[in-house]
Amino acid sequence: MSKIVDQWVERLKGKLPPVGEMTHWERLAAAMDLKKTDMVPVAPELDYWQITYAGYSHKEIYNDVDKTTDACIKTWADLRCDAIWMYIDISHQIENFIPAEKRPEHFILRGDKDYLLFKPIAHTLDEAIALYETKAYERYINDSRAVTHYTPHMLQLLEFQEKMDRQVPVILGMATPTNYAETVVEVQNFLRWMVVEPEDKMRHYLNLCLQERLASLEFYREYAAKNGCQFMCLFGGARTWGPKHLDKFADVDRIFAEKVAEIFPYTFWHHCGHNLPKALDMISATRGVKGVQYDMPYYGQTVTWPEWFEEVARKFHGKQCAMNAPTTQLACHGTSQQVSEMVDQFIDATLPHTTACIMPGCEIDSFTPVENVKAMIDTARARRIK
Amino acid sequence: MSQTNHIEKLATAIEAMDMAGISTLVKDALAAGLTPAEVLSKGLSEGMRRVGVKFNAGEVYMPEVLVACDVYFAGLNIVRPLLATNDETIIGTMVLGNIHGDIHTVGKQVAMPVFEANGIRVIDLGENLNDNVFVEAIKKHKPQLVGLGTYMTSTFMHTAETVRVITEAGLRDQVKIICGGPAVDAEAARRMGADDAADDAWEAVEKIKKLLGRA
Ligand code: B12
Ligand SMILES: [Zn+2]
Repeated sequence: MSKIVDQWVERLKGKLPPVGEMTHWERLAAAMDLKKTDMVPVAPELDYWQITYAGYSHKEIYNDVDKTTDACIKTWADLRCDAIWMYIDISHQIENFIPAEKRPEHFILRGDKDYLLFKPIAHTLDEAIALYETKAYERYINDSRAVTHYTPHMLQLLEFQEKMDRQVPVILGMATPTNYAETVVEVQNFLRWMVVEPEDKMRHYLNLCLQERLASLEFYREYAAKNGCQFMCLFGGARTWGPKHLDKFADVDRIFAEKVAEIFPYTFWHHCGHNLPKALDMISATRGVKGVQYDMPYYGQTVTWPEWFEEVARKFHGKQCAMNAPTTQLACHGTSQQVSEMVDQFIDATLPHTTACIMPGCEIDSFTPVENVKAMIDTARARRIK
Repeated sequence: MSQTNHIEKLATAIEAMDMAGISTLVKDALAAGLTPAEVLSKGLSEGMRRVGVKFNAGEVYMPEVLVACDVYFAGLNIVRPLLATNDETIIGTMVLGNIHGDIHTVGKQVAMPVFEANGIRVIDLGENLNDNVFVEAIKKHKPQLVGLGTYMTSTFMHTAETVRVITEAGLRDQVKIICGGPAVDAEAARRMGADDAADDAWEAVEKIKKLLGRA
């Protein structure tokens, strides 16, 4: 039971005007089930942005669960997106690998408005393997932000979701095995090792990462799924790998994702950066994954945005909901007019082939103007699907 | 072996990511009478150029590019001390570093050898740098170029602040400033007081040449 949640429920329940004919939950769920919706759902990844939108600084919410939750709900109440993204940062992900006294060296809060910096925890493949073999992540978890911040924040938002009778879904996030494998050692090192280290040693490391992820799923089953969570965003790694590397090593993500999808009916995949078509093919062949939040075309692919939207929509036909637009860059630097045009382009190119969700390829930057976020929402809301 | 053969072997070694062989190949090429500048520009840099072509054509990917960069650097480290300071293949010097708050290193690792291979000598200042680090580096190294690694929108937006600090130090006229990273926008960069921006290292080389009046 949380006071902050009850205050919001008291203020909002039964008092909000409807948006369209469906509830937010119904709209996003239907799009992910490839069913007809009244309008295209809008669920931009506002996890960082909503903190400053709500008037807090990142420093202020770092240790304050109530303020974090307050920011998410306030943003939703004002903008009425079709989902609430919980706030997630990198320290939630890797603090439990690091003893408390060493953590300050790894994390620095950059400024009021933006990101947390972090340094890798292992520098060689042997060190990384040792971290996993000794289960370092279990040893340091109890006072880590996974426990002190992520979990209570998640529970508050799910409590809100349930008390509001599932009008709006809460989206949680989990990193995949390859994401962990890269983050722990720094992506660039991992990339090199795929070329220069023995293949079986790399596979051993990735399998250890997979085992840890699968074990953590028990927590998610117990605390997230049982408390009503149904929407899960998988933060994929392997974003800069080539086709050969995907063939050799990416199966750990597929195995993991299929297990996640057994627990969470609305699982989708976040694959930001320059997208290799092959990677999107692999993701869209993953059983149970109902949506893909994709991003820019891969280096050297010379396609226009509408062409790219269409190419991806065709790939996802009959399989996934396409989630994109506008780009995070345009959202931040562009005008509302440009944002609106790109949203229209995306919808026009996607709907003939599959369902669509307005969700830029990565999280919205804290500097993104409010008008541009509103432009995404208003543009989608203005278009009724016949 | 002919000199052309030595050169071809150097270029191929970069493409083939031959870390074990590169230092012997460089030494052999020098022993065969090639100048350090030839080893660099015709051999090693030609290899990097080919890697770039293959990368943009989707024949090799980031993991291979990074290892090829390492091999390039291993070779460069041998020839660099031997290069004459007035070497005319050098078109300019750049101090390059990631703006405050940015720890993306992959792009910088790739951009550096591409720049070097095109006659831009790069001094790597590191990551997550305070604006003053750029000021001090300009005073110390007297470069023609400042490269700002800005891989996220928030750090790209910080360009205005970095440029302001460089301007207040009275150094803005001495350098051209270019931003790089996946989230940059050339027009926005100019609005913030920089000279240009690029999200591709090879394209950046062309822009840099223009900025230096070498295009
Ligand atoms: C790998 C990666 C990471 C790794 C970085 C590992 C490392 N040691 O580098 C990790 C996981 C740590 C990471 C963390 C984060 N990341 Co990141 N990351 C990426 C990703 C997927 C690939 C970057 C990459 O290596 N590309 C390959 C290189 C070769 O390309 P490049 O960087 O563009 O470099 C080329 C050119 O730009 C040019 N170039 C490079 N440097 C320079 C310099 C100059 C002067 C010039 C002229 C040219 C130039 O040359 C290169 C070759 O052509 C990108 C997505 C993308 N599209 O790139 C996101 C991306 C950069 N990350 C992003 C974000 C948001 C983050 C985080 C905030 C996520 C989080 N919530 O924690 C953190 C922030 C960390 C921090 N404070 O810096 C966003 C930024 C969004 C935005 N617009 O602001 C991106 C764009 C993803 C997206 N689609 O939105 N990330
Ligand atoms: Zn992302």
